[in-house]
Amino acid sequence: MKTAMNPMRPALTDEPIPPPTGPFEALRSTAQIAGHPIHPMLVPIPIVCFIGALVTDIAYAATAEMMWTDISAWLLLVGLVFGVLAAIAGLTDFIGNRLIRNQSPAWPHMIGNLVVLVLAFFNVLVHSRDAWTSVMPTGLILSIVTVLILPITGWLGWAMVYRHGVGVVR
Amino acid sequence: MKPARQIPARTVYIVLTCGAALALAGCNDGSGDPKTEIGANPTLPAVQQFLWPPMHLARVVGWKQDEKPSVPNDLKIQPLATGLEHPRSLYVLPNGDVLVVESKAPPAPSPKRPKDIVMAWVESWVTSGGSDGPSNRITLLRDSNGDGVPEVRSVFLDHLNSPFGVALVGNDLYVANTDAIVRYPYTPGDTKITSPGTTLTPLPGGPIDHHWTKSLVASRDGSLLYVGVGSNSNITENGIEAEKNRADILEVDRATGRFRVFASGLRNPNGLSFEPQSGALWAVVNERDELGPDLVPDYLTSVKEGGFYGWPYSYFGQHVDPRVKPERPDLVAKAIVPDYALSSHVAPLGLAFYDGTGLPETYRGGAFVGEHGSWNRQVLNGYKVVFVPFSNGKPSGIAQDIVTGFLNNDDQARGRPVGLAIDKSGALLIADDVGNTVWRVTASDQASTASR
Repeated sequence: MKTAMNPMRPALTDEPIPPPTGPFEALRSTAQIAGHPIHPMLVPIPIVCFIGALVTDIAYAATAEMMWTDISAWLLLVGLVFGVLAAIAGLTDFIGNRLIRNQSPAWPHMIGNLVVLVLAFFNVLVHSRDAWTSVMPTGLILSIVTVLILPITGWLGWAMVYRHGVGVVR
Repeated sequence: MKPARQIPARTVYIVLTCGAALALAGCNDGSGDPKTEIGANPTLPAVQQFLWPPMHLARVVGWKQDEKPSVPNDLKIQPLATGLEHPRSLYVLPNGDVLVVESKAPPAPSPKRPKDIVMAWVESWVTSGGSDGPSNRITLLRDSNGDGVPEVRSVFLDHLNSPFGVALVGNDLYVANTDAIVRYPYTPGDTKITSPGTTLTPLPGGPIDHHWTKSLVASRDGSLLYVGVGSNSNITENGIEAEKNRADILEVDRATGRFRVFASGLRNPNGLSFEPQSGALWAVVNERDELGPDLVPDYLTSVKEGGFYGWPYSYFGQHVDPRVKPERPDLVAKAIVPDYALSSHVAPLGLAFYDGTGLPETYRGGAFVGEHGSWNRQVLNGYKVVFVPFSNGKPSGIAQDIVTGFLNNDDQARGRPVGLAIDKSGALLIADDVGNTVWRVTASDQASTASR
């Protein structure tokens, strides 16, 4: 009696799972582990690192305390490394499935995030300078621009998943 | 979504174009003629900052059999000793025995940022074999008959801590380890010291210890010791608190070990020596990096008591370094302009005033400077020993290249000169820490004939 069961839990039945018919299944990820797309697992790391680097850059600009720019340098490097890994996973999905590529947010999401990585790459180099000019003014400007782009590309990325169902398996 | 696609694409293009332009600017460093930066009034270009600073390190190849540095016709050069382990400085004892200070850099501190790891890796392939064999010791060479072939070679002092400077006052031999000045009892004729030594005073050492060579000289009357303590960073990037008593020449009271700052703002002072005519203290100083291939010239200068020479706030007088915050206009205003620029990035580490008579007349009273050589410019600079003529206690002419050929035609390092000394016969001695050799420069037969 299905109706008697907890509605929050799907009923265990002997009925076969229906074959994929809807649009969601067609938007499946190529870079995935057991149906879990890799790209969304990695993207929080560069996002957090780049926001963190902006915070520590501001702290350095305010205090000239070298600890802060040292932390910025680590955050930018880690963010860049994981950003590149996320980009590889994302590009695999993008190239591996024409239907994903055809989603309207896909192109601006990809290009915006590539801009973020290029900015972060130059920011890593700027932060390898010694003392004040490792941050001021170029490093701080790059950190600000990077963080301004992130909510836009993030919004587009979330739209792909939550509105278009990219990578969602039902 | 079409417009949204185009705007970011254009941004990518602009960023990539700028990036490529900047990267290219970094590859061709556009350096000028290093000779315009020699003397009292060097031409200083504008500050340049880089995404990737110009770097060119001479790969180490060592000296092949019978290869040796080149000298002018009036001089000749021979190895006094080979097979040493990273010989960095020299000291001649009153009986003519030569002390060769073989020294390894102290262990690197834990990296503070990614750049430290990259730079440690870059530097690892241009150092000599000093990190392999036994070093951190002093080897004694005795060449009693002055023929340039030592009869005695012995380990004089062993198990030192990155030693550099040596000074003898009476029977007290002082060795400047990287972290302390240590006193040993010395009896003329000793070929070995077994005493553990007594610490006269600790010096700023680890854990960072960026510039670790502690140059040492005793005052004429023997009551004071002067010790050079280099900065703990290129330009304060390890924090200003790491710079306490650094970039200074300290004056140490030999009786008590108490010290005070004698002069400050000298980024990495070495070769501390008294100019024979004026009796003034002089030093060669390694200036800051990463402001461009032609900034900042390293220099040779007299050191005034209480003098401030700029580091970190300014260079060559009042040229403010944009990398140092908070600024100190009060200190910049009183920064002394050094006496004599040696050109940028040549890395002078050795200085010897020529007070002997064995070399031709032209060298008397002038200064030899050992230039270890550049890394922070595309066109290598330094890697030679130059001679600066002096008159009335001041430099009186353009520096001349005296000992060259440390680089081969492919810009590979056969050797790199560091510390200098004048031996009892008046020959110039050169510690070559990459060639692991001590070179001895004497008058050539041609010169001796001419002077007769």
